[in-house]
Amino acid sequence: MVEKNQFEQLSDYVWELPPHYDARMRVPARIYGNEQIFDMAFRDKSVEQLVNVAMLPGIVRYAMAMPDMHQGYGFPIGGVAAFRYSDGIVSPGGVGYDINCGVRMLASAMDYEDIEPYLEELIATLFKVCPSGVGEDGSVRLSDKELDDVLERGTEWAISKGYATRADAERTESYGRIAGARADVVPKRAKERGRPQMGSLGSGNHFLEIDVVDEIYNADVATAFGLRPGQVVVQIHCGSRGLGHEVCEQAIRALQDAPRRYGITIPDRELVAAPVQSAEGQEYMAGMAAAANYAFANRQVLAHFVRQAFDRVLASKVTDRDLHQVYDVAHNIAKVEEHAVDGKPMKVVVHRKGATRSFPPGHPDLPAVYREVGQPVLVPGSMGTASYVLVGTADGFGETFGSTCHGAGRTMSRNAAIRATRGEQVRADLNRQGIVVRTGSLRGLAEEAPMAYKEVDQVVESVAGAGLAGKVARVHPVAVIKG
Amino acid sequence: MGRWQEIDHTADLALHIWADDLPDLFITTARGTFALVADLAQVRPERAVAVTLDALDAEMLLVDWLNELLYQNEVNGLVFTEFSFESLSPTHLQATVYGGPAPERLGYVKAATFHNLVVQQTPQGYETEIVLDT
Repeated sequence: MVEKNQFEQLSDYVWELPPHYDARMRVPARIYGNEQIFDMAFRDKSVEQLVNVAMLPGIVRYAMAMPDMHQGYGFPIGGVAAFRYSDGIVSPGGVGYDINCGVRMLASAMDYEDIEPYLEELIATLFKVCPSGVGEDGSVRLSDKELDDVLERGTEWAISKGYATRADAERTESYGRIAGARADVVPKRAKERGRPQMGSLGSGNHFLEIDVVDEIYNADVATAFGLRPGQVVVQIHCGSRGLGHEVCEQAIRALQDAPRRYGITIPDRELVAAPVQSAEGQEYMAGMAAAANYAFANRQVLAHFVRQAFDRVLASKVTDRDLHQVYDVAHNIAKVEEHAVDGKPMKVVVHRKGATRSFPPGHPDLPAVYREVGQPVLVPGSMGTASYVLVGTADGFGETFGSTCHGAGRTMSRNAAIRATRGEQVRADLNRQGIVVRTGSLRGLAEEAPMAYKEVDQVVESVAGAGLAGKVARVHPVAVIKG
Repeated sequence: MGRWQEIDHTADLALHIWADDLPDLFITTARGTFALVADLAQVRPERAVAVTLDALDAEMLLVDWLNELLYQNEVNGLVFTEFSFESLSPTHLQATVYGGPAPERLGYVKAATFHNLVVQQTPQGYETEIVLDT
């Protein structure tokens, strides 16, 4: 059992466990966060899970946990690790089941006062057109060929069907299309699960939210992102639904024998891995990319429905109803990227499990519109609390492979949350704060109660304090649909 | 007769299972999982589904078993309450499972994981702890 005092404090926000803690560790394990967040890490098994990650072959620099870290299965949530492309591994458990779960933000030209009288109608319409719940179908019907197109082309498919604009694609991580995706390696059962679910939120912590910008920290960058005080924005949080789950499940199953075949020692079967350049590694990367493309398309279709709902409800009431995309980020993914390791450029596979890419100003992978200021990073807080828009930094790029936190991070189990509160109570509390709530599951509402999460303000202060990302804007919710 | 207990997990769910023998382990794990999804007393097991699985070991077979049942739950809306094994070994399973729709959904379970999963034989039978993705 790892103890706090075995970590070395490197700064106000960085804590490191040296590799001599366990002979199997190949690199140190690092936790990012202020002292309170560091203390919280020892309440569950997330530190042990982080130590396990540090044992995986080909890992470079250190195994990292962002300040929103908590216990997962395999990697901790908030986990980041990069593996050499030349002789390192890829681990489906380092990406997780909801491949390319992520967040999208749309910004409007409207102020809160413009929509306030119609908020109930807006949220009722959104609830109808953006289905939620596990196994819940969307309204888009896809043929086999169209689904293959979604898997290989992501947002490009959405553009061809009129669900997306070119500007949406530009403002999406990897332009909404991960290279190397192959529909032919996606299992039949994954396709069966994914085909009817396009354009749906799903369950758990997924949500759709209307927010208002209440604080700007960096005016220049906020302007570049199209954000200003008082403005109405929309956030969509969801992923690849049953399709991604099935891709992950089958990959973890298929790789159970891989460690033996490749002579890899793994500390946990959920962390099964194959050399990234092996046939199995490449097949997983191609299937994961396809599931990621499905998730980009899913959030794009939902964004299209949101735009239609705003148009329908606000027609003849508000003149400018445009909702332009600020950005769309993935927070469960493994990506081949180039980073400097020991002063030399190296091709690595960066696993982000509940962590967000945060590329700095000038990075060539960013679209022209953001290249000068850096990548927008979307960090949703818990239901009813603030969310943040951050921007990638050069320091973060050098330290964490351009990665930062993805949310507030749970601190209480779902059962503990249910024991502590009731869905009706959570709804009443949110209503009292002026937040309209719609959900298909009151139990789900209790599970996602704000008290079950860390304070997002502290998480964001930690990543900003550590220099991993810069604060740009804060938004607070006025209406929430809970998946 | 097996029993299960929910174990606290920050983001997901975990079950500790005690069972008399291998069939009891598979039945108890399935019941424990579906008890998180629905009130089992409200389900009429009116539909039968045949399940045949092969795996490398008992842990993989257990994960495959739950994931197969959860797949049927997602696609067909079935909650399973009765189980009959035609054959069962640590690496092979042939069963008929019986289930029906639940009037109300209590919660969500999306997948069974291999996280620290070990099926242990004990003097009393079998014991394991399984983490479920929600």
